[in-house]
Amino acid sequence: MSSDVRFTDFKSDKQPTWCPGCGDFGTMNGMMKALANTGNDPDNTFVVAGIGCSGKIGTYMHSYALHGVHGRALPVGIGVKSANPDLEVMVSGGDGDGYSIGAGHFVHAARRNMDMTYVVMDNRIYGLTKGQFSPTSREDFETSTSPDGPKQSPVNPLALALAADGTFIAQSFSSDAQRHEEIVQQAVEHDGFGFVNVYSPCVTFNDVDTYDYFRDTIVDVEDEDHDPTDRDAAREKITNDTEYQGVIYQDEDSVPYNERHGLDSNMADIPDGAPEDATDLVREFY
Amino acid sequence: MPDDLNWAIGGEAGDGINSTGKIFAQALSRAGRQVFTSKDFASRIRGGYTAYKVRSSTERVESVVDRLDVLIALTQRTVEENMDELHEGSVIIYDGERTMMEDFEAPEGMIDLPVPLKSLAEDAGGAIMQNIVALGAACEIANFPIDNLDEALEKRFGDKGQSIIDNNQEAARLGEEYVQEEYDRDEFGYNIETTDNDYVLLNGDEAIGMGAIAAGCRFYSGYPITPATDVMEYLKGRLERYGGHVMQTEDELSAINMALGAARAGARAMTATSGPGIDLMAETFGLVAQSETPLVICDVMRSGPSTGMPTKQEQGDLNMTLFGGHGEIPRFVVAPTTVSECFHKTIEAFNYAEKYQTPVYLVSDLALAVTEQTFAPEEFDMDAVEIDRGKLVGEDEIDTWLNDSDQFQPHFPAADGISPRTLPGTSGGAHMTTGLEHDELGRRTEEQEVRIEQVDKRNQKVETAKEEEEWDYREFGDSDADTLVLSWGSNEGAMREAIGFLDEADVSVRFISVPYLFPRPDLSDEIEAADDVIVVECNATGQFADVIEHDTLTRLKRVNKYNGVRFKADELAERITEELDTPQEVPT
Ligand SMILES: Cc1ncc(C[n+]2csc(CCOP(=O)(O)OP(=O)(O)O)c2C)c(N)n1
Ligand code: SF4
Repeated sequence: MSSDVRFTDFKSDKQPTWCPGCGDFGTMNGMMKALANTGNDPDNTFVVAGIGCSGKIGTYMHSYALHGVHGRALPVGIGVKSANPDLEVMVSGGDGDGYSIGAGHFVHAARRNMDMTYVVMDNRIYGLTKGQFSPTSREDFETSTSPDGPKQSPVNPLALALAADGTFIAQSFSSDAQRHEEIVQQAVEHDGFGFVNVYSPCVTFNDVDTYDYFRDTIVDVEDEDHDPTDRDAAREKITNDTEYQGVIYQDEDSVPYNERHGLDSNMADIPDGAPEDATDLVREFY
Repeated sequence: MPDDLNWAIGGEAGDGINSTGKIFAQALSRAGRQVFTSKDFASRIRGGYTAYKVRSSTERVESVVDRLDVLIALTQRTVEENMDELHEGSVIIYDGERTMMEDFEAPEGMIDLPVPLKSLAEDAGGAIMQNIVALGAACEIANFPIDNLDEALEKRFGDKGQSIIDNNQEAARLGEEYVQEEYDRDEFGYNIETTDNDYVLLNGDEAIGMGAIAAGCRFYSGYPITPATDVMEYLKGRLERYGGHVMQTEDELSAINMALGAARAGARAMTATSGPGIDLMAETFGLVAQSETPLVICDVMRSGPSTGMPTKQEQGDLNMTLFGGHGEIPRFVVAPTTVSECFHKTIEAFNYAEKYQTPVYLVSDLALAVTEQTFAPEEFDMDAVEIDRGKLVGEDEIDTWLNDSDQFQPHFPAADGISPRTLPGTSGGAHMTTGLEHDELGRRTEEQEVRIEQVDKRNQKVETAKEEEEWDYREFGDSDADTLVLSWGSNEGAMREAIGFLDEADVSVRFISVPYLFPRPDLSDEIEAADDVIVVECNATGQFADVIEHDTLTRLKRVNKYNGVRFKADELAERITEELDTPQEVPT
């Protein structure tokens, strides 16, 4: 780690192919700034990405990174962090990636509480597959595969995270750059699983959950004097219908999985042969 | 009397059959006898017939045979299930006071031996020890010094406190004394020998776990499934001693992805599962290969398809491991042929994975997984373990692998197909990897020339490995024989013993057991030299025979078994002669 890292050091020389105006630009900028602000550099950072427009982030950032398969980014991040706890691990994907195909992993990642950050670019649509409804799409949202709306309740990601005993639950809006950066930074600094659902509008396929919609409706929990350590207050915020930004819940006593399990060494360091006392393993079978 | 002793305990699941069987196997092993065990079990926790069989001898034993000398029958069904294996002089121990066994009478020619197991166990401190009473009785019948059993009981109950050990030893003693008082030992005609040899007793899953630790594995993630779970249970607690970690995941998708993440971060990592789990892992298997991450994926096969017969033997996943996954995926497939080979091949698998930066399937099966077998401890020579991490590039060498813009090239198209690898945390080496087709920097591309270059590069690794490693086979029998038998996986033991039976019928065979399924040895010359070639495998369609036919363009004969039970030596000998032009009667 070095103190003179600038967030642009996390930029790769590849130009994003996101549609002009896509919310993912802002989401990614905030992530890079949060990483730089917390004293990380590309060589100690590992970014895991899912599949989707959102999942392309690993290509546009410069760091150690793996772009995996659809919905499975979280377990990869958990494996990376287990093997080398010195790395700053950031996992990112879309709402389809994280709450549909990867919903199971999301719940388990929250309760496992590995010390890492999970940023979901929530555009309430499938972008990369060109505009089908996603698990966060509204019940009446018309798409190519839901001409009359999906007719099912949208997933509430924050509620899922709270139900799974998530220890840091936040939401941000990619175009409120300042707040988004702050919130992601707090997630990075959190000891445990720092989860941020980011409203990251899709300008091509979603004409309902637009920049204007979020600008008009979003409420900052700080303006309501919300105490994020109060679980009941958090539950209330999560289940009322307001679109909030800010840290909704944080467990200040959170002890991350890696600490609980004493994962503090770099597992890449192994001897040239069997461990010195390995014959004891054989002797156990006498 | 033969020095072989074939002993079994059978009853209902939940009767403690497994632990009792294991204790007896351990007692025999401690007495310097070679042991080979097998289990019949159903997919139920309580109820349902289950048995644990122990074959032992002063000579090496490698398979099960159709013969039972002493049977502890906790239920009437146990006798019925094993009727074919009982013979004149077989002794059946049972509790004549139990209502279900009150009217039991041993069939003609067999020796009926009612022992009040439950009441003697109560005298020793609790009915729960009834199986131990039966073990004491069995020691007396076989003229087997009971102090060996005492030691095994100490080992088994050591962490439960001295009084538990004492009670169990007392229970065994009461069983022994009861037989001494009520029967004349000479009636039984068993008088087994002990030796001074030291043996270790372990099963294939344990050997894989031990091999993984020896090979420097530090991260294991898995989801429980029969018969692979023992690998995880073995590693849990032990891997941690070496700074590693065992993670029980939410499913197999997570298991393979976590292992991939750990491997990408530099740990030697492994996951183990059985067929259904392999199916779930298939998508990520492609990612492992495409991102060139070293990973060992162990498939302990059971009977399929779907959930098939989860507690039964089969070798049905060969095609899945050789060809499974969308697209074309370079890989290695290694299959241990014995319990001790489970150890050695696991170590090799880790080295191949890192040297060639590919996924390696380590394919074992239920028969290996649940078989406890004795070995000289020297077979697990830890000093001989060598760890080869391949082209792992540290900070000092990183400059060599940077392009003009100082970018690290994780997929540099080296002539041997193997690129440099640098681990996260290495300064100057930051780079991405992906399942998408990519260029030498790991960046997505659909450029036709780069695509071809990268596909060729990945496939070249397999060609390089074919040249650099010895993909050999294990050979037994008469190398000049006209009949050649081929097999893979756990059939080796049964076939080795079958050679003896065949010899007695004047049938001489050359037997080749193949542990490398991809790349695999070229068997053209061996097949050419034989008149009859017979491929033995535990599946219905002959998946191994198919690939060898494909390699050598020669039609082969097949001996297949797919009823869920492994081959027995005597049965296999007979099946082989049936394939010969002039079948012989095999004396067994
Ligand atoms: C196993 C599998 N199923 C389906 C797909 C096709 N697929 C690619 S991206 C995607 C949805 C992406 O939606 P989301 O996660 O919301 O990301 P966005 O593109 O909106 O950023 C799907 C279904 C895939 N790549 N893999
Ligand atoms: S389709 Fe939507 S989500 Fe994808 S890049 Fe375009 S705007 Fe962004």
